[in-house]
Amino acid sequence: MFKDWIVDAAYALQTSNRYQKTRKFFYNLLENSSFQYKRYFDITMVVLIIVSVTILIREVKHDVPSYIVDLNTYFISFIFFIEYLLRLWISSSVSKTIIEHKEKDTLLERDFNLSLAFWRIVQDKLKYMTSITAIIDLLAILPFFHQLRLLRIFILFRVFKLFRYARSVQTFASVLISKKFEFFTLFIFSSIIIFVSSVLIYIMEANNPNSAVNTLYEAFYWSIVTISTVGYGDITPTSTESRFVAMLVITAGIAVLAFTTSLVVSAFTEKLDEIKELKSIDDLAKIEEFYIICGYEKIAQEVCKNLVKNNKLLILDEDPLRIEQAHKDGFEALNYDPGSIESYKRLHIDMNKQVKAILCLRESDVENVYTTLTVRSFNKKVSILSLLINNNNRKKLEFAGVNEILYSKELVGLVAREFVGKPVAFEAIHALRSELNNINIDELLVTQRIAQNFTFVEELVHRKYRLLLLGIYKKSHKHFFFNPMGSMVLEEGDVLLIIGNVMFMKEFEQYLNKKRVK
Amino acid sequence: MKQVALIFGYNDYGSQIAKNIIQKYKEVIIFKLDDDELRSDMQEHIIESFDLSDEWSSIEKKYDLNECVAFCVLEDDAENIFLTISLRSQFKDLMIIALSSDKESANKLSMAGANKVIPVVQTTAQMISDILDKPVVTEVLHSLLYEQSNLKVAEIKLEDASYFKGEFPTQVKWELDYNIMLLSVIHTNGNNEFLYSSKERHHPLEDGDSLVVVGYEADIELFKKRIGVVK
Repeated sequence: MFKDWIVDAAYALQTSNRYQKTRKFFYNLLENSSFQYKRYFDITMVVLIIVSVTILIREVKHDVPSYIVDLNTYFISFIFFIEYLLRLWISSSVSKTIIEHKEKDTLLERDFNLSLAFWRIVQDKLKYMTSITAIIDLLAILPFFHQLRLLRIFILFRVFKLFRYARSVQTFASVLISKKFEFFTLFIFSSIIIFVSSVLIYIMEANNPNSAVNTLYEAFYWSIVTISTVGYGDITPTSTESRFVAMLVITAGIAVLAFTTSLVVSAFTEKLDEIKELKSIDDLAKIEEFYIICGYEKIAQEVCKNLVKNNKLLILDEDPLRIEQAHKDGFEALNYDPGSIESYKRLHIDMNKQVKAILCLRESDVENVYTTLTVRSFNKKVSILSLLINNNNRKKLEFAGVNEILYSKELVGLVAREFVGKPVAFEAIHALRSELNNINIDELLVTQRIAQNFTFVEELVHRKYRLLLLGIYKKSHKHFFFNPMGSMVLEEGDVLLIIGNVMFMKEFEQYLNKKRVK
Repeated sequence: MKQVALIFGYNDYGSQIAKNIIQKYKEVIIFKLDDDELRSDMQEHIIESFDLSDEWSSIEKKYDLNECVAFCVLEDDAENIFLTISLRSQFKDLMIIALSSDKESANKLSMAGANKVIPVVQTTAQMISDILDKPVVTEVLHSLLYEQSNLKVAEIKLEDASYFKGEFPTQVKWELDYNIMLLSVIHTNGNNEFLYSSKERHHPLEDGDSLVVVGYEADIELFKKRIGVVK
C-alpha cells in the first residue's frame, strides 16, 4: 500500500508540467550558464558574499550594529541555506529514480523493492553532498548557528563560494585538473625533499645552542620556506653540513618552481582552443539572431565578407585549416562537423529563435545534402539555403529539405544573357547593387510606428530626400507594386524599395520614425 | 547587336550560357577541346573543336569576328586566360566575355583583353547575401533583369533630345507623366550618372544621352513613341 502510494506520487511528479517546469527553472538558474537569469542570480550571490565577508572583517576591530550582524548571521545564511537545499533537490531526481526501479522490477516480473530505490536515492544525494562545492556550501551556512562562536569563522568559506559564480575560476581549476598526474608527481617529489631536508636539518641543528632550530616542526617550517625560494631568514643553518643541505634544498626549490610554472603554462596552452570554444558557445547564447555557415570554402568566404556587415555569423567546418583561416579573417568559427547532430547539440542554441538561416556552402553536393538532412532530422522549421554544384543533384537537395537553392552556373548564364542583351542597364543595376557613388537600392520595412505615422504613400515626401520610390511590396497581397499611386495605403509589414544616396536613405528612415504619432 | 556567339567551353557554364542567349543570336557555336567528352545536354547546339594552340584561321574564315561575341568559359583559369589572350592578340575588335573563378583571375583576364569578366565566386556570393539581406530588392531586380515579369529595364538612346527642351532629368515627372522611372543617364562622354546624384541635377538632357528606365513594357513603348525614339 505504502509502496503504491510512493510510486503514484513519483509518477504524479514526473508527469506534472508545473513541477517539471519549476524544477527546470531552478536547474537553469543554478547550473545553466546560458540561462538569461543566471547572470543576475550569480551577481546577487556574489554581492551577498562580499557583504557577508565585509561585515566579518569590520567586526574584528570595530563595533558593528547588531541588526547588521543579524543580517549576516540569519538573513544571508538563510538564503545560502535555501540555495543549498535547491542544489540538493536538482542534483538528482527522486521521482525518476523510483520510476526507473519500479519499471525495471516490473520488467523482470519481481516485486518492487522500495528500499533499494531509496538506497539509490540516498547514494545519489550523498554523492552530491560529499562533493567539494557542496561541502563549501554547507560550511558557509554554519555561521547561522551563532551560539557556537567558533563557527563564525566559517563565513570565510563563503569566499570559496565565489568559485561557483566565477566561470574563469572554474576554467582555471579545470585546466589544472587536466594535469593532476604531473602535479601529483611534483607534490611527491617536493614532499620527499621537504621531509628529508627537515629531518637532516633537525639532526644537524637541534643540539646546536646557536641554531634557531629546536624542534622538528621548526625544521619542517625552515624547509618549506627555503624550497619555496621565499627564505624569510628567521631560521638559518649554522653548521657547514646544514648549509650544504640548504644548498640542495634551494636548488631543488628552483627546479620545483620552474616545473610548476611550465606545468601551468603547458596546461593552458593545451586547453586554449577548448577555452576559446567554450567562450564562443557562451557568447553565442547571448546573440539574438545569426546565420550558421556550413563550410568555409571560396564562396562561403565571400558570403561571410558580405553578410558580416549587417549580421552575426557562425561558421562550422570540420577542416581545422579552414577554421584557422576563418579565425584569421576575423569570424566566429568552430571546428565542428556541420553534418553531425552532436555539433548542433553542443552549441546550446534555440534553432527556431536564434538561427536566421543555415547556409550549406560546401562546394560539394554530397556534403550539402548530408548537412541538410542532418539539420532536417531534428528541425523542420529553420530555413536552409544551399549551393548546387551539379544540376543533376537539384532534386536531391530539394528532397533533403533545402528551402532555397543557388546554382552558380545558372546564375552565370543569366548574367551573360543580361550583359549581352542590355549592357548599359546591366551596368546600371550592378552599380546600384554595389553602392557605387554611394547610390544604393535598399528595402525599408514599414514598421507599426511608420504605419501609424503615415497613412498614404503621398505623405512619404521621399523626393525631398532625393530618393526614388521604385515600388512597394505589399505583404497583404504578396505582390510588388511598381510606382505606387499616392493614394495607396501603407500597412505594417509592407516593404518600400527605395533608390538614392545612402546618407539620404538613413535620414529618410529617421524621418519616418521620428514623426510624432498622430 | 552581334550576330554570332562563340562559346569556348564545353561544360556546365557553356551549356547555361548557350541556353540563355540562344534567342538573342542567329548562331550559337560551342567549341570543345579535343579531350572533352560528349554531353547529352548540348546536342541541340553546333559543336566545333578547338585547340589552345590554334591560330584561329579556320574560325576567321567561317565567321566575321566583328559580328561575333566570344565567351571564354573554360573551367581552368590558366587555360581561360591563355585562350583570352590568344583571341585578343589575333582579333582586336572581338567582344570577349570571360569567366573567372576569383578576383585575382578577373584582373588577369582584364589584362589579357577581356571586355567583361564575370567572377563566379563573387557573383554567387553577392547573390546569396542579397537573397538573405535584401530579399525583396533581389526578387524585384531579378525579375527586372531576367525578364520574369511585365516590368522591364530598358536603355533608350536619345538621338534627338529636343522633346525635353533642355530640361534637367530631375525636372521631368517621369513617374506621373509616363509611369516609368529613370534610373540613370549615360551621357555622350560615357559617364553613367544616377538620377538624384548631385552631378545629375546640373546636367540637362542632350542629344546622344542614353536613359536607363524601369517600367511596364507598354509604358516604355508609349514613352519611346512620345519622345520620338519610335515612330
